[in-house]
Amino acid sequence: MNRLDVFKSVLWTLTGLAVATAITRFIFGLGAVSNLSDSTPWGIWKGLSVVPGIALAAGGFVVTAVIYVLKREEFHRYAKVAVLIAFLGYLSAATALVVELGLPWLVWQPVIYWQFHSALFEVSWCVMLYLGVLLLEFLPVPLEETSWFAGLRRFLTKYKLVLVFLGIMISCLHQSSLGTLFLITPEKLHPLWYSALLPIEFLVSAIAVGPLVVILGVLVICYMYRKEADRKTLSKLAYLGFIVIVIYGVIRFVGLAVNGKLPMIFDGSWQSTVFLIEIALVLVIPIVLLGIRKLRYSQAGLAIACFSAVIGLGLNRANIAGVMLQVPGSQYYPTIYEVFVSLGIVAGAIIVFLFCVEHFKIWDVKWKDPRERPEYCPRFDLGSDVWLGSPGVTERVKYSLVFALSFALGFALMPQDRIESKGVEEITVQKARGGDTLFIDGNYDTFGTLFDHARHVDSLGQKESCVKCHHMNVPLDKESGCWECHSSMYTATDIFRHDWHASPNGADIACDVCHEPQQERQKASAKKCRDCHIDLYADNTADIPDTYLAVSYVDAMHILCVNCHRERAVADTTRVALAQCPACHTGPQPDYLKAEMRDELSRPAPNHVMMPPAVLQVKEE
Amino acid sequence: MSMAILTDITKCIGCFECVAACKTVNGHEADKPYVFHINDGLSAHNWTSIVQKPDKHFVRKQCRHCLDPACASACPVAALHQTSEGIVIYESHKCIGCRYCMIACPYGIPRYDWDKPVPYVQKCNMCYELVKHGKQPACTAACPTQATIFGERKELIAEAHRRIEEIPGKYINKVFGEFEVGGTSVLYISDIDLGFLSYVVIPGTKALPKTTATAMEAVLPTFFGVGAVMGGLHWLVRRRQKLQRENEGSEG
Repeated sequence: MNRLDVFKSVLWTLTGLAVATAITRFIFGLGAVSNLSDSTPWGIWKGLSVVPGIALAAGGFVVTAVIYVLKREEFHRYAKVAVLIAFLGYLSAATALVVELGLPWLVWQPVIYWQFHSALFEVSWCVMLYLGVLLLEFLPVPLEETSWFAGLRRFLTKYKLVLVFLGIMISCLHQSSLGTLFLITPEKLHPLWYSALLPIEFLVSAIAVGPLVVILGVLVICYMYRKEADRKTLSKLAYLGFIVIVIYGVIRFVGLAVNGKLPMIFDGSWQSTVFLIEIALVLVIPIVLLGIRKLRYSQAGLAIACFSAVIGLGLNRANIAGVMLQVPGSQYYPTIYEVFVSLGIVAGAIIVFLFCVEHFKIWDVKWKDPRERPEYCPRFDLGSDVWLGSPGVTERVKYSLVFALSFALGFALMPQDRIESKGVEEITVQKARGGDTLFIDGNYDTFGTLFDHARHVDSLGQKESCVKCHHMNVPLDKESGCWECHSSMYTATDIFRHDWHASPNGADIACDVCHEPQQERQKASAKKCRDCHIDLYADNTADIPDTYLAVSYVDAMHILCVNCHRERAVADTTRVALAQCPACHTGPQPDYLKAEMRDELSRPAPNHVMMPPAVLQVKEE
Repeated sequence: MSMAILTDITKCIGCFECVAACKTVNGHEADKPYVFHINDGLSAHNWTSIVQKPDKHFVRKQCRHCLDPACASACPVAALHQTSEGIVIYESHKCIGCRYCMIACPYGIPRYDWDKPVPYVQKCNMCYELVKHGKQPACTAACPTQATIFGERKELIAEAHRRIEEIPGKYINKVFGEFEVGGTSVLYISDIDLGFLSYVVIPGTKALPKTTATAMEAVLPTFFGVGAVMGGLHWLVRRRQKLQRENEGSEG
């Protein structure tokens, strides 16, 4: 395993995890894999993949502008790398958008539904147009390898300058319009980042760091393939970046100074610390390393400066598009699955990049060690003449296996609980506010009843029990009434049991004992109960009841008894106790009659706890 | 004709009838305690909610229907847009799911179907279908105490000021929503401060779309300006190189 093998295996692993996550997201929705919420609608997919990704892809238009417009021919060898990096940067941002958008299959809709006031409308048009331009700019490179479409290749090469101009014009709009996106959030974005100049800051910083990304790409490739980097040309390119970084720094700090925000930098809040880190990465380190000629021409100095600027710019965009855009109280942190996707998209882009480097003439650099070239790998073992297989095939098998394994691992790692519960919040079980025993208006009928909350929790299954009574279904039905479960106590019962009368195990009487023969068998024509059960009727009852429905248990107890008790109590004021609960509910004094409990109950509470008449009267006295 | 809703916090008894009516009219499914929710009662299935504040203050939260709505200005496909009645409505078939409206809204109103594979933005549409046919929204129709009423914005503002002046000291001397973010169609009068209804800090009176207007107007000039500048540079550089070559040629 050489360094390239290890690197590629890691990349394929990350891609596999990302694809597994993306598939889960499309089946179960954004909430299943991400921590996005109503308070944090944009997470790292936009904050780390889309917005910084596009900023770092600016190298394409900056380098081609330098080469084709300003005619600096010495950079010509890096034109294809720059275009490829830009193309892949935009492609990965577009891929991240496809995962991130709620309805990605409609992502093209800004083409037909126009909205000129929206910065995002401008952004989406620019992305679509610039992706097309980049594709056309890059197309001649793969077409070089084949004799097909020679006409197309010649056409594209001939009109390259038109494409370069279009690329510059669209990119300038696009980079700045990403800054415009955040102008509409003056009250959410932290003041250290919010500025009316955001579009200009975005554009200038992208121009500054764009070439440095290309340099970093070149250095990484040289390291991976053990090639010699042309440090002299790269340093010249870096110097261009250096000049624009200085301009960016001036704009940024003049903006802060004019708005009187300079003191905020040192106010000690975590935001100011992040700000200082960002400034150090994107401004201080690159300016120092690239400003000193000797350091600029050293490989380490160049690499560190570019790396620092790239990370710094990424941090700046992530801050503006996410970290500093948060609402107080929202606690967003990305899930591991969100990280999978963000990393996997970058990894995928790098895989394509390496593929292009290996298969197309991206540039003509001398190989440090010719034997490292893939074409030079022996297909036969030279000593024994044993066929070792095509290196391309073995590589394909190896990486397919890595990808498949990590894809499977990704699915195994998916959050089962989140997918199944569809984002339903875990609620910890709490004791009822009023104690284990409550006095509640259980049926919303102004009749109070003692309710043993603790016993219900125990018998209905602890944690699972809450939702059996407490709902959020409709605003007025937050808790079930007692009758919804104890329905048998509340439903009137038919005391005539037809089945029992007909059953061989019951009365076992023939139909025609009750029903007249030759007649339709129905209630009206059947015998009356008293015809057989004369012994159950008092002698003086002449009237026959229309119905055999008996009043329910609760109604029997409460309506039949209580109404009468009340009437008596009102009629005779010396017998008030008759209407109080203890008149029937004898036994030990319940909790609610204790003094502290009484205070608790006398407060108006929204949970339907109400006082029994007895308590009210005690209170009045 | 700009329609509006005026909610008088002193009259609200917190009965939740408006919330129930809203749910019924819009056919919303049952609400569960989702992890995605902000703790203000609004959700993808609750377009209006009642925020309970101390001393029996019930504040109905709903979309403010800004006169110059930030969400509609942010939406790249005009899925959110304002009708002639001043109502901000949402057309789901246009939506691409970018959620920029949720970033832009100063009141944090739009909510999202986070648990669905085909998610939409969810927010109050002031019962546009009913209003279009000359009826009033379900919430104001359901209110038993006339705490929340529907009418023309001008008349409701006049009514709000009349109520404030009628009993001096009963209300805070301000119609919430008259000027904030350029004015909103959902107005409040109250005896407690309603700053908590906004997302972060109380927004100023400047309409948020104005913050991006300058940049958006500069788009086409920038596009052609950049092209012209680059073309000019290119011409200059080429001319200089040509002259240089001619000089070299004549010298040689």
